[in-house]
Amino acid sequence: MNKKHSIEKYLFTIPVIIYSLLLILLPLLYVLLISFFKSDSYGGMIYTFTLSNYIEIFNITYVRIFLKSIGIALITTTICLFIAYPFAISLMSKKETTRNLLIKLVMVPFLTNSLIRTYGWIVLLRKNGIINSALIGTGIINSPLSLMYNNIGIIIGMVYTLLPFMILPVYSAVSKVDTSLIEASYDLGASKIKTFTKVYLPLTISGAFNGSLMVFIPAIGYFFITDILGGGKIMIIGNLIKNQFLTARNWPFGAAISIFLIIMTLLLVRIYKQLGGKMDDLGGM
Amino acid sequence: MKKARIFLLVICGLLMTGCTSNKDSQIVNVLNWSSYIPDEVIKDFEKETGIKVNYGTYSSNEELLAKVSSSKEGTYDVVFPSDYMVELMIGKNMLEEMDISQLVNYENIDEVFLNQSYDENNKYSLPFLLATSVIAYNSENIPKITDYKDLLNPAYKNDIVLLDDERITIGAFLQALRYDINDYDDSHLEEAYNFYNQMKDNVKAFDSDSPKSFLITNETNIGILWNAEAILAQDHNSKIKIVYPKSGYALSMDNYVIVKGANHIENAYKFIDYLLRDDVCQKIIDDYPYISTNKNTSNYSEEELKNILSNGSYIKNVSENIKKFDRLWAKMK
Repeated sequence: MNKKHSIEKYLFTIPVIIYSLLLILLPLLYVLLISFFKSDSYGGMIYTFTLSNYIEIFNITYVRIFLKSIGIALITTTICLFIAYPFAISLMSKKETTRNLLIKLVMVPFLTNSLIRTYGWIVLLRKNGIINSALIGTGIINSPLSLMYNNIGIIIGMVYTLLPFMILPVYSAVSKVDTSLIEASYDLGASKIKTFTKVYLPLTISGAFNGSLMVFIPAIGYFFITDILGGGKIMIIGNLIKNQFLTARNWPFGAAISIFLIIMTLLLVRIYKQLGGKMDDLGGM
Repeated sequence: MKKARIFLLVICGLLMTGCTSNKDSQIVNVLNWSSYIPDEVIKDFEKETGIKVNYGTYSSNEELLAKVSSSKEGTYDVVFPSDYMVELMIGKNMLEEMDISQLVNYENIDEVFLNQSYDENNKYSLPFLLATSVIAYNSENIPKITDYKDLLNPAYKNDIVLLDDERITIGAFLQALRYDINDYDDSHLEEAYNFYNQMKDNVKAFDSDSPKSFLITNETNIGILWNAEAILAQDHNSKIKIVYPKSGYALSMDNYVIVKGANHIENAYKFIDYLLRDDVCQKIIDDYPYISTNKNTSNYSEEELKNILSNGSYIKNVSENIKKFDRLWAKMK
């Protein structure tokens, strides 16, 4: 009985194992390997060991790009947190059917390609776009606002694209909070803000950190958003890596930056675990 | 997991198309720039010759190189690399020699476009279309512009779109300073960086995908962009003027080449020959108004073409010095 069960288990997990080995582990190992090679003038690689790609990352130009990327990602994460919490908490007072409907609506954007949705924002945000025309038409402003081709455009795009990744884990954490605790807090005379900081927040911090990871990490790499809504004027780590593999034809350096990014990500996950987060929460929602 | 499944399906689909295409001999495998040949032309070719065209696209020379060099020999028959990429592919021994006796319509090629520096005797390549970078501006809002230095005017704040291409854009700054577009001297590049810093506040965006949209929607009044894009913008708004900058501009010639080890060489020649036909060429430049290399469909006089070619410069492969351009590009952004 037990044996049969384990055969079945293997049978069903083997495709996943093969998939992970072939399509995730092998390419990663390849990236790791080439990050120690030199690049030749034709965009190929010279197979001699070097650490120069990793040293190059610490060039001031690239350090600035790293800092800028982290800054943009931090702002995005913070805004997402500020939107996700009130949304999740207000959902709790809704009827279950409404709640389910609203959560489904959060996921609706996933049905369309994010690139197309980002292009959609151009129509809204550009100089003669819908928002500016509406504001000028109603006499609220006189000259168009610069809503895109700058940092504002990038942040709007990042928050818009990544918000569901914050809402879902935060909501799942908030929905597990025992309502009697909240009622007790109010009964004891705590204000709404106090109830949030003393009851909700400590009980849902792992959800918040989980969501933050899921927002922060892609925000460093989503080069298409900086390209489209930032007007290509601002480079984040994602753009830098893309450039190395395309225009600069310097795969080893691109690989080294990728590895560096992976190490940064792993460090963040480690912090998450140390704060008491569960790895399972990162995978499924 | 759903993603993984879809991905596997796609992979299977790709593998399957790979299998069928090898069996059938009445086909030609073409890899071309995205939006470069109207679909109609491909369909007409298929109807006329009965040869099926497997048409793939790429959006940069580097992507083309990656695709060709990472696939099995014989995967692609005809591809369309630009000048420096032709040179690079010749260097890597990736191209078949071009046998012009197979091409009835060879005579249609204007001689001015032959024997260019990247392939002296056209041993491997024949010219297809010529693109040049130009300055385009909306003359309704902007006084006359003749050269890059006019773009430094502080009145044009947030009013310029540049190509999101490090070689062309940094190259334009170099040309503005009267250096060669392929110059990689450190101090000259530093000067180019300073030139950009003077222009920085005027630059609204870098865009290579559709810079014409910026001019058409009045998002910016000025752009440095490819000639065909500028002409299309002009079709929308006749107030848009096109200028070949006095201190030079980039030339980019896209060429027909046949990939080494191609499985359908005969069909490849038929395909190239078809595109060399006058009426076909006319259809292509009607949709994508680059400079035609066909002397019978030329929209420029011989004199103009000579001028365009002699005042512009080809982007050349600068080998490992590309890293300098890349570092500067990262510094600019």
